[in-house]
Amino acid sequence: MIHTEIAIVGGGPAGLCAAIKAAESGAKVIVLDRNSQLGGQLIKQTHMFFGSQKQYASHRGIDIANILISKLEDYKDKITVMLDATVIGLYEDRVLTVDQGGKYIKIKPDTLIIATGASEKFQAFPNNDLPGIYGAGAVQTLMNVYGVAPGESVFMVGAGNIGLIVSYQLMQAGIKVKGVICRGPKFGGYAVHASKLRRLGVPVMPSHKVVYAHGKDKLERITLIKLDENKKEIPGTEFDIEVDVLCIATGLTPLAELLWQMGCEMKYISELSGHVPLRDKNLMTSLDGIYVAGDVAGIEEASSAMVEGSLAGLCAAKAAGHIHPDFEALVADCHKQLYDLRSGPEGEAIRKGLSKAELKEVGL
Amino acid sequence: MRIEQHPIITFNKGRKVQFTFDGKVYEGYEGEPIAAALHDAGIRVLGHTHKLGRPRGFYCAIGNCSSCLMVVNGKPNVRVCVEKLKEGMAVETQIGRGDIK
Amino acid sequence: MLERTGVPTKENIESVTPLKERLSKGPVAIIECFQEIPCNPCYTSCKKGAIKELIDINDRPILDPEKCNGCGVCISNCPGLAIFVVDESYSETEALVKIPYEFVPLPKEGSFVTGLDREGKPVCRAKVEKVLNTKAQDRTPVVSLIVPKEFSMTVRFLSLNDHYSDNTIVCRCEEITLGEIREYIRRGYQSLEEIKRISRAGMGPCQGRTCSQLIMQELAAATGKRLSEIKMSAFRPPAVPIKLGQLLGGDDHE
Ligand SMILES: Cc1cc2nc3c(=O)[nH]c(=O)nc-3n(C[C@H](O)[C@H](O)[C@H](O)COP(=O)(O)OP(=O)(O)OC[C@H]3O[C@@H](n4cnc5c(N)ncnc54)[C@H](O)[C@@H]3O)c2cc1C
Ligand code: SF4
Ligand code: SF4
Ligand code: FES
Ligand code: FES
Repeated sequence: MIHTEIAIVGGGPAGLCAAIKAAESGAKVIVLDRNSQLGGQLIKQTHMFFGSQKQYASHRGIDIANILISKLEDYKDKITVMLDATVIGLYEDRVLTVDQGGKYIKIKPDTLIIATGASEKFQAFPNNDLPGIYGAGAVQTLMNVYGVAPGESVFMVGAGNIGLIVSYQLMQAGIKVKGVICRGPKFGGYAVHASKLRRLGVPVMPSHKVVYAHGKDKLERITLIKLDENKKEIPGTEFDIEVDVLCIATGLTPLAELLWQMGCEMKYISELSGHVPLRDKNLMTSLDGIYVAGDVAGIEEASSAMVEGSLAGLCAAKAAGHIHPDFEALVADCHKQLYDLRSGPEGEAIRKGLSKAELKEVGL
Repeated sequence: MRIEQHPIITFNKGRKVQFTFDGKVYEGYEGEPIAAALHDAGIRVLGHTHKLGRPRGFYCAIGNCSSCLMVVNGKPNVRVCVEKLKEGMAVETQIGRGDIK
Repeated sequence: MLERTGVPTKENIESVTPLKERLSKGPVAIIECFQEIPCNPCYTSCKKGAIKELIDINDRPILDPEKCNGCGVCISNCPGLAIFVVDESYSETEALVKIPYEFVPLPKEGSFVTGLDREGKPVCRAKVEKVLNTKAQDRTPVVSLIVPKEFSMTVRFLSLNDHYSDNTIVCRCEEITLGEIREYIRRGYQSLEEIKRISRAGMGPCQGRTCSQLIMQELAAATGKRLSEIKMSAFRPPAVPIKLGQLLGGDDHE
């Protein structure tokens, strides 16, 4: 059994920022990730990010990952990174069971930060399991991490930021995107992302859905149908499009299995895209010393994930007995940054969701 | 199909290696997931399901969904979307829960 | 509207178009960002203070065209790729449009490409004046296109395919290429009427309905005139294409 002051599950932007701030506070940290490299979602994001300078806006996701990783190296003596290490069990005793390449390791931390990110939502329609139908994450991993084209032509389901951005990335990789659809009458992503695609001649088509995927061994063709303003199918408006890849980008949902296992108080909050842990304003869950940060606490952006990570890192370190010299100021700054990021009209749903996720008795 | 030219990314590929898929020889880069090398070779169907015999390709590509189970060097139920390619690997289609085609 | 189509509306564009006097003075940024989103690199990257401070990070960027010198630094810093620079002082008839272009291969300086509008539709032939791709652009190169002035607020992207190359057919009825038209223009034919007579372009069954516009565009581009200054030839009667049978007195039943 390995003992550490803080264990962080997940090495995405939230986990990395948590590790940096916890180590900066003086705590001993172990960061675990099931992937073979750190960075989480960031390593697939070739586009420039939004936000402000503090969250590395206008840097590309891949570059932000490198910036964070190099910061991590400044605390080599404090931070241990374990890669290809999947946390498979976490129960009331708070001992983490880790599977690292078939080897099982147990870790007992004083405090714990869960930053496991999200998993993708699946879509139901006939033949939705044909090879050639992939999640947006898979398409990104294949093309942006391994340099393999997912196919010759792609149709995108989902016009939130992810659908729009992945479509643009496909075009950049030289793969034709035949269209992007969503059910609602308006696309959900930022208009600037949609405009980028439109300039490339890619149709963005709200009020459509896939009703059928055709193909024997792999996808060959899809049937779409038009929807009215209430997302009801308009009979007789079906049409076919030939594609060999259908990319599903209909959203993410918090990857909260470990929190369930431990017995954190959870709640389904649609604005945060699924079941999320209740937490106080410093991100501690209903269980003492267990913190959350990033998409696992509610689907948002890397910008907010990084700030949440920093906040959780500072507070978990404090709980483990290491108070950052600028603790008060840094925590206040995190709260301010989060407030700013969520203050606009696009942040309205997040604000609403978060107000439902507050723990009744505020800890700390 | 490999992405040869990219405006943003330079891909660091490993050494070229050979492996077999259902007995036929293919090439890929060492260290990339087996699924990436197969996909490049145009192979989309990685197996068939145990219940309905439906074709299966990969889906999540990050080791989450177990859609990509194959037999590698005789060992069944390997998730090829995360298993790294090595010289001389024998990759086989898996039918159902671990039988070889 | 924008949230349904992804294409900024006419009103959107008008709201960010500087006054004519400012446009004619020289390069100026056109910021096509119409939604309140948490983003501010445009403001932080502009060293001229031309973009009003985004006090709330969700505020929309507001440009002061008098302070903006069109340096284009903001173009590669905008994650939305929503900023362009337009320079209508480039020449009497042409404007320069600077566009962020994150694709490979990059266009070659001096080559001809096709200017596309906000829906990716071809608008006009454009010459690549410059491709800026240094460390400062950080993999978001900026391509400067020379376009006819009337398209300075229309062209927002490019296709490497030169839709308007010498081999492109202008008049499909008579199978006349752009190259042939260009050759006549070089030889001194200056009006649509003359070109039509000498080349037969526009004299086919559609009577020039399909090709006149393209020939005029080409004349405008070659002679440095504005489209409005090129004289249209009068349509010859009959104004509606009719079948040969009708002229011969037969009826329209076949
Ligand atoms: C296409 C796309 C475009 C995006 N664009 C933007 C953008 O422009 N701007 C922006 O701010 N945000 C953007 N985002 C969102 C952003 O990437 C995420 O919000 C952010 O990555 C969340 O960070 P995280 O650290 O919470 O989770 P992640 O980045 O998902 O990291 C979680 C990590 O946890 C690991 N993990 C999970 N479970 C376990 C386990 N059991 N054991 C060990 N490790 C585990 C995973 O391997 C992963 O590395 C985009 C996302 C996508 C998909
Ligand atoms: S073009 Fe230059 S001066 Fe004008 S807004 Fe952009 S950065 Fe500022
Ligand atoms: S940087 Fe671009 S996308 Fe961001 S607010 Fe400014 S103009 Fe809009
Ligand atoms: S594709 Fe999901 S586990 Fe391999
Ligand atoms: S296209 Fe030229 S006359 Fe018809």
